[in-house]
Amino acid sequence: MFDFTGKVLALTGANGGISQAIASLFYGYGASLVLSDVNGEGLDQFAVELDPSGTRVATIAHDVSKSEDADAMAALAEERFGSVDFLVTGAGLYLAQLVESMTDDQWRQSMAINLDGVFYTCRAMIPKLRDGGAIVNIASMAGHRGSFQHAHYAAAKGGVLVFSRSLMHELAPRGIRVNCISPGLIETPLIQPLLRSQGEALLRATPLKRFGKPEEVAGVVAFLCSRAAGFVNGETIHVNGGLYVVG
Amino acid sequence: MNEPNTSQFSPLRTHLGRTVLITGAGQGIGAALAAGFLSRGAAVGLLDIAPEHLNLRAAELNKAGARLAAAVADVADHEAVTEAVERLSETLGATFDVVVCNAGISPKHEGRGVPMAGMDPAEWRRVVDVNLTGTFNVVHATVPQMIATGYGRIITIASVAGRTYFPHVGAHYAASKSAVIGFTKHLAGELGPHGITVNALAPGRITTSLIRTVSQQVNDEVVAATPLGRLGEPEEVAEVALFLTSDAARFVTGQVIDVAGGWLMT
Repeated sequence: MFDFTGKVLALTGANGGISQAIASLFYGYGASLVLSDVNGEGLDQFAVELDPSGTRVATIAHDVSKSEDADAMAALAEERFGSVDFLVTGAGLYLAQLVESMTDDQWRQSMAINLDGVFYTCRAMIPKLRDGGAIVNIASMAGHRGSFQHAHYAAAKGGVLVFSRSLMHELAPRGIRVNCISPGLIETPLIQPLLRSQGEALLRATPLKRFGKPEEVAGVVAFLCSRAAGFVNGETIHVNGGLYVVG
Repeated sequence: MNEPNTSQFSPLRTHLGRTVLITGAGQGIGAALAAGFLSRGAAVGLLDIAPEHLNLRAAELNKAGARLAAAVADVADHEAVTEAVERLSETLGATFDVVVCNAGISPKHEGRGVPMAGMDPAEWRRVVDVNLTGTFNVVHATVPQMIATGYGRIITIASVAGRTYFPHVGAHYAASKSAVIGFTKHLAGELGPHGITVNALAPGRITTSLIRTVSQQVNDEVVAATPLGRLGEPEEVAEVALFLTSDAARFVTGQVIDVAGGWLMT
């Protein structure tokens, strides 16, 4: 659909279900990739399958809750490809915990990965981003409507939405667009526990009567990065089969 | 920098085999939509109230031997729309599986929307008839065939004025565009089980003849408030419609996508 030949994508959480689909799609469109994930070994395995020669894919172990890791990723991007055209923040942590029994550490961990990580990564990448580029932050339906047993995750994702809209103002003068995607229920390992407990009810509530596929999120990410979305800025596109249509 | 994307649509054949109905196709965003869908391999039915614009557009687009047909109708007229849809389908040899409800009006008086207190009730009714009932009429005339085939893509054209206060339009326009958004969300839920997605676009200020009826000062004010620092191009709205009706967007439904350069963030 799009030609990203000569473009560079930086992607966090790249060993996750949705992010792998994003990496594969952009690679197929001709982009070079800087991939990071907390699971460096798993990521390397994925990267070798994607690009056995390693000429268009660089990887780095990355704990998004650490700002120095984000700086290292940005340095790698510059060293390997000179600059970055697209930044997609795919790293996330989704654990089921009730507020009443949530520990300080559990709250902090979710904030650190889901919100701090987006800030650290964006801050580190801004100087590497080419004018006219694009940032797509992966938020969540939970960031709009809240989520039972996921108050920390939902709060962090809500934070990502407003962070993105704020950052948009800072980068618009450089022609860098900042948008979000809020996936609904996408069939990945991340949401298997949820599907086991509430899958049938959620399916009934979804107008398209199915869950989404990682590729269906990836396609929207590619669109938002492309010139076709040249006047789409500060937006959030929900990819949820109609499960949530408020706003 | 972020320059407007007015280049030719990429020659991808993403809509090969699709039959697309576009209302208000004679000029502006509708004309860009027609060019875009044709370039992607679709057969296109053009509908417009103004024969002079429609004929000009059809002649222009026909050059490449495209599969296209045109019909004159007022979208506010249910019977006329139903008849035009039948005629267009017959000419194109297929029923419509993609519909873009683009026809709309935004009456101005000396370059501004008239204040509500002084609004002629006839003008209110006309705006609601065209923008809201017209959208219903067009979907009503085409959706039975989509349900029958188990596939459909419906795009409605709302506006940022349907989502927030936009001082440069009248209350009738804002209300009708808000209603289009409600209509869109309801339809997404109702038609989803039939394999039909329904989404709305909410353009900001786009360089069409609609905006040339207002003072330069109004457009300057909007540019100043738009983070990307410019107005949008009709092609940039069309591109989003092309994406939303493509296979890549098949899990996106019931959504309102702003095409406003960051002017309003929702």
